[in-house]
Amino acid sequence: MTAIRVRELRKQYRVSEREAGLWSSVKSLVRRKTRTVSAVDGISFDIAPGEIVGFLGPNGAGKTTTLKMLSGLLHPSSGEIEVLGQVPWKRHADFLGRMSLVMGQRNQLVWDIPAVETFELNRAIYRIPMAQYRETLDELVDLLDLKAVMGAPVRNLSLGERMKCELTAALLHRPKVVFLDEPTIGLDVTMQRRLRDFISQYRRVHGATVLLTSHYMADVEALCRRVIVIHRGRLLFDGDLGALVGRFAAHKLISIHLATPCAGLAQYGELVSDEEGHVTLRVPKAETPRVTARLLAELPITDLTVEDPPIDEVISRVFTEGAV
Amino acid sequence: MRILRLLAIHLRLALSGALAYRADFLIHLFESLLEFGTGLGGLALVFSHTQTLGGWSAPEVVALTGVFFIVGGAVRFAVQPAMESLIESVRDGTLDFTLVKPVDSQVLVGLKRFEIWKLVDVLMGLAVLAVALWKLGAAVGLGDALRFAVALAAGGAIVYSFWLMLATLSFWFVRVENILVIFQSLYEAGRWPVNLYPGWLRFLLTFLVPVAFATTVPAEALSGRIGWEKILLSLGVAAGMLVLSRLFWKIGSRHYSGASA
Repeated sequence: MTAIRVRELRKQYRVSEREAGLWSSVKSLVRRKTRTVSAVDGISFDIAPGEIVGFLGPNGAGKTTTLKMLSGLLHPSSGEIEVLGQVPWKRHADFLGRMSLVMGQRNQLVWDIPAVETFELNRAIYRIPMAQYRETLDELVDLLDLKAVMGAPVRNLSLGERMKCELTAALLHRPKVVFLDEPTIGLDVTMQRRLRDFISQYRRVHGATVLLTSHYMADVEALCRRVIVIHRGRLLFDGDLGALVGRFAAHKLISIHLATPCAGLAQYGELVSDEEGHVTLRVPKAETPRVTARLLAELPITDLTVEDPPIDEVISRVFTEGAV
Repeated sequence: MRILRLLAIHLRLALSGALAYRADFLIHLFESLLEFGTGLGGLALVFSHTQTLGGWSAPEVVALTGVFFIVGGAVRFAVQPAMESLIESVRDGTLDFTLVKPVDSQVLVGLKRFEIWKLVDVLMGLAVLAVALWKLGAAVGLGDALRFAVALAAGGAIVYSFWLMLATLSFWFVRVENILVIFQSLYEAGRWPVNLYPGWLRFLLTFLVPVAFATTVPAEALSGRIGWEKILLSLGVAAGMLVLSRLFWKIGSRHYSGASA
């Protein structure tokens, strides 16, 4: 059983193209040159029910396009998608009623009225029975500490409060599949952690499948064991977050504690930090065993650890170089 | 059932929103009175020179004015705000949230926004119509009233479909507000009986921009100058327009790609 099944998914857009300048604008009125752009170019993956997966990629990688195809907003150019056993773009009420889409950059809450009114509206739209609505709302209000804010017009709320209300509105009908597109964007660290805990708890309690995109690696590290990385519309990696680092990190970090200060450490590798006998060196992965052996043999070392570089760094390297 | 509940909720929200801006009510009331005053004043001026206008007596044209304001007011109350909100949501991408709801998206879009105070126009239109009916007196029979009601409903459906098709164009051409303005100015032509206009314009107002079905035909039904054939034509046009606009909506919303994030 899979919750989400994607095979050879493609989405191409036709974009009109013209050079700068007035004359080419006039020409484009008559004959428009178009170019086909592949936003998503043949990706496949499966996600099991109850799994939470981080969906990573630089801006323009095709993340949002994929999420939109998964939630039925966009029609794929080719390939197959199945979410909860349904084809999303057919937009069956049965499918739409069991999934939810949250976009950190866009609001479904109505600006001028209190969030609780939008909740009521969603209760009618999703035909949530009163008892279940009360129970879910109480639970969400409690977890997110919403009591004080949901009665105020949305325009008076802070970004964090608004996002909490957005999530509540999106989860009232207890969706089985949740697509979160940068839910923590623009929030402070405390609020990010709060939302993260909440998402994780919702998934645990309701057994929901979650696909999350975020630019904050902390979100992904805290929530997702598995990540899918796409770049220029293609699948770059699908697997364990730890394995991602192992595979893409070209360097390792060696930290050593020295009994006595030593000079000439740069010959062993790139010096990252050197503070009172605690030194960190960046060394190419293949060199690590050899350098470690040399360090131990040649220097008065009291402690030595070999670590992977921070995940942020690895990811940004993947993105900038498109390395495979 | 669910649609009625959603309608009730949206109306309640619109009302509570409108009550928060009570000054709007006074401004709109003033605006509306002014428009009625000039409209009826114009009629008085015309009929001080003539007994009939293209075969229409004064009370009949007053009735037409009533219909013109009822339909126009209903459009400004429900149709226009919903369509403007649709165009905005296509541009800023929030239409996404409407499309992922398990309710027909055309219905949800239609319920999105109401301008409560524009109902003043409808009420004043009804008042003017009542005065005209009183003047017409016994001339209005039960059959006329029935034909009027059917013609009015068909006219409303036609105008709604027309608006929906114009607004749906925003799926292809993101900026379409200007087209809406054109429709509004053509609707103004509906305050006079269409048979006053030269042939080509009458054709335009009947079939291209079907203003005639929304105002002239119901008013004609009221004064007993048309039979069921024309009412059936009106119903046929309404049904055709509803189907066509539905098709437009289906194709358009499939074409919608959303403002990319």
